[in-house]
Amino acid sequence: MFSYYVRLALASMKRTPVLSALMILALGLGIGAFMTTFTVYYLMSGDPIPHKSGVLYAVQLDNWDPNEPPTESAKDVQPQLTYRDGQNLMNADTPAKRQAQMYATNVVVVPEGDDPPFDESVRATYQTFFDMFDVPFLYGQPWTDLDDEGHASVAILGREMNDQLFNGENSVGRSIRLDDNYFEIVGVIDDWQPMPRFYHSDWSRAFADAEQIFIPFSRAVDGPMGPSGNTNCWKPMDDSLPAIEGFLQSECVWTQFWAELETPEQAAAYKDYLDNYVREQKEIGRFERPLNTFISNVPEWMEVMEVVRNDNRVLTRLSFLFFLVCVLNTVGLLMAKFLGKGGEVALRRAMGASRGAVFSQNLVEVGLIGLLGGLVGTVLAWLGLRAVENLYRGYQHLVQLDPVMLATAVCLATLAAIIAGLYPVWRVSQLPPAGLLKTQ
Amino acid sequence: MKDIGPIFRALTRNKLGAMLIALQIALTLAIVTNAAYIISERAENIARPSGLDEANTALFITNLFDSNVDQRQLYRDDLDAIRSIPGVLAASPAQSIPISGSGWGEDLYNDPEMPSNESINFGNFMVDEHGLETFGLELVAGRNFRPEEVKVRSFDDMDLPDNLIVSQALADELFPDGDALDKTVWDEPNGERPMRIIGIYDHMQNAWPTSSNVNNTALLPSIAMFGGQMMYVVRSEPGQLQTVMTAVEEYLAGNRSRIVDIVRSYEEQKRRTYSGDIAMVKLLSVVIATLAGVTGLGIVGLAWFSVTQRQKQIGTRRALGATRKDIIGYFMVENWLITTAGLAIGLVGTLALNWFLDTQYEVGRVPLWYLPLGVVALWTLGLVAVLLPARRAANIPPALATRSV
Repeated sequence: MFSYYVRLALASMKRTPVLSALMILALGLGIGAFMTTFTVYYLMSGDPIPHKSGVLYAVQLDNWDPNEPPTESAKDVQPQLTYRDGQNLMNADTPAKRQAQMYATNVVVVPEGDDPPFDESVRATYQTFFDMFDVPFLYGQPWTDLDDEGHASVAILGREMNDQLFNGENSVGRSIRLDDNYFEIVGVIDDWQPMPRFYHSDWSRAFADAEQIFIPFSRAVDGPMGPSGNTNCWKPMDDSLPAIEGFLQSECVWTQFWAELETPEQAAAYKDYLDNYVREQKEIGRFERPLNTFISNVPEWMEVMEVVRNDNRVLTRLSFLFFLVCVLNTVGLLMAKFLGKGGEVALRRAMGASRGAVFSQNLVEVGLIGLLGGLVGTVLAWLGLRAVENLYRGYQHLVQLDPVMLATAVCLATLAAIIAGLYPVWRVSQLPPAGLLKTQ
Repeated sequence: MKDIGPIFRALTRNKLGAMLIALQIALTLAIVTNAAYIISERAENIARPSGLDEANTALFITNLFDSNVDQRQLYRDDLDAIRSIPGVLAASPAQSIPISGSGWGEDLYNDPEMPSNESINFGNFMVDEHGLETFGLELVAGRNFRPEEVKVRSFDDMDLPDNLIVSQALADELFPDGDALDKTVWDEPNGERPMRIIGIYDHMQNAWPTSSNVNNTALLPSIAMFGGQMMYVVRSEPGQLQTVMTAVEEYLAGNRSRIVDIVRSYEEQKRRTYSGDIAMVKLLSVVIATLAGVTGLGIVGLAWFSVTQRQKQIGTRRALGATRKDIIGYFMVENWLITTAGLAIGLVGTLALNWFLDTQYEVGRVPLWYLPLGVVALWTLGLVAVLLPARRAANIPPALATRSV
């Protein structure tokens, strides 16, 4: 019966090709526009580390200018820590399972042989970074505690970098030249691309690639390898110190700080620990503002950092309205089409088809239009995503049409068409056969 | 217009079809007006002048990775070489360029007693005595830097230069009485780090296009040596930028102790900085165009269908003496009535949508004069869309009325 209805539907669509094409196109455009913007929104608001996002916390301490307006929420506090506060926490016995201070810096990688040197972003951090964020290793393992303490010249490469420099071979034990220093490779990590890149997500970096080189924080500071991310200062540096020492001891914020807190109790204990730390610091004349410390787990942190931008939300809302217009349009066209079918329906009814049969037969036709609209929409969404990728910088890893979204698009279109078609189909199935047959 | 009565009564017999179009028109007006407003806001932002000679300026960023090289000497050699390239009008070292998203923001105090939260934020651009000409700025008061006033700033020597040249906007904010020239300002509270304003230029934006004080900028005569990154801004003779960029890149790449990271025209830099806004403009333009298309085609489709349905009545009217013009007029008026009803709902919808977008996502308030523009645009769209089916209706021969009954 179903395949018969499908054949009938195809025949009916062929009879009104323009009307059918218009409906399919309208649905397709609506679905295409909405799926494009929604995919971007969905991927942007994705959980970058689903199995652990609830236990990883970004740390904020409010060390800012006492003359600035009062703090109301985590959004009002600097998202980064000073070097010295991060160091104090790293060196303390806190309730956290793991902690890591980190920052991004830039180096020139000088390959062996004839390949030209190139610029590369490096993450300076602690060995805890890798276990805390569940970074998968291809070769070797994280450097050790002792390497962090000993300011060791060791490095961990990303898979891409290892492919580029060492043809993908196990490079553990070999070395890499960064600027004019050599670092011994202790590990190579497998493909790892948290999206958004939650651990350092300024507006310009949230969708950047994960770094391909990691070195110990202590070694990078020795460099000195300056931060390549935002550095914010409010208080003059101490002139009596040498410039670099003055910078390190200043109230400038430029490092990111994360803690792994496994239970709510641990999180509460850690928060207390931070509050006490700030109270102690107040006694030596720092932290002149009211006591404000914040810990935010990954989903909360993505909100604080406003990773999904307002533009994306505006586009998603507007394209949903656009989709609504397309559905309204389809309802109108379906009304036109089905009321024009009165004669045929009357004939079928007169030949013994029940109202239910007429209803389901026409619903099949509507569903078919929706399915085709969905397919057109998917193609348009794919084109739309390519356009978005070209329009925005840094979205390369972000913009992919995954199978889930694909299926969603087609289902949404079919569903929309069926909902749009319910009323027209019901109207046509209620037509009394006798009256219409008479007018023929 | 005498037909409005019967047209309206005929409409009430097909309420649903008319309502669907009206609703569609209403939503279209709300979306199009809001989208057009966002587009114009963004386009206006992008079009603001940076102050530079945008079409003839390029930036070059190199990264020195050999710490044995004398960086100060390399700056001198580079600048001498770049300035001698034919077609180069001016060149300066720099650590930032307007609207690049990356730069130095600092605070100035016009009084040693000024509290830190009242200090005036400005974009600091470190250049040498060629900076003014390289950035294409016009001195409206005072003088340019002298070569001997240019200081080298590094980790070993963080001293500020003794003087600076400020933008008119910064001068006005520091000294609202208009007497900024030759005044002393301080880079830090409590009268520390004084500098003298020796000149005022017309206009230049800072590095961050969304900052509230985007026009507060100053040139400081200094060369930044914090790490191996070195940046040059080069201004070419009109029309010679491409040749100059190639020649400068070739020169810079000749030194094996560094890599050339970025060779970029200023216009390209500006496009990159504004890429989010440009994307918004393009995407919303596509939305407006397709939406107009969908709504227009929807009107065409429904009108076409209603013409088919009313063939006999149209034939009868023609047989009774109605002219083709009367028939076209009928459909135009009918459509106009539906569109106008939709637009009335749409005006409320536009304001509601704008209120929602503004309170939630800070897009700003649509100026009211956008509304009549949107109304006129959709009236036109409706009338154009209905024209084709209406003409088809007009071509129905009167004889049809007598056939097939």
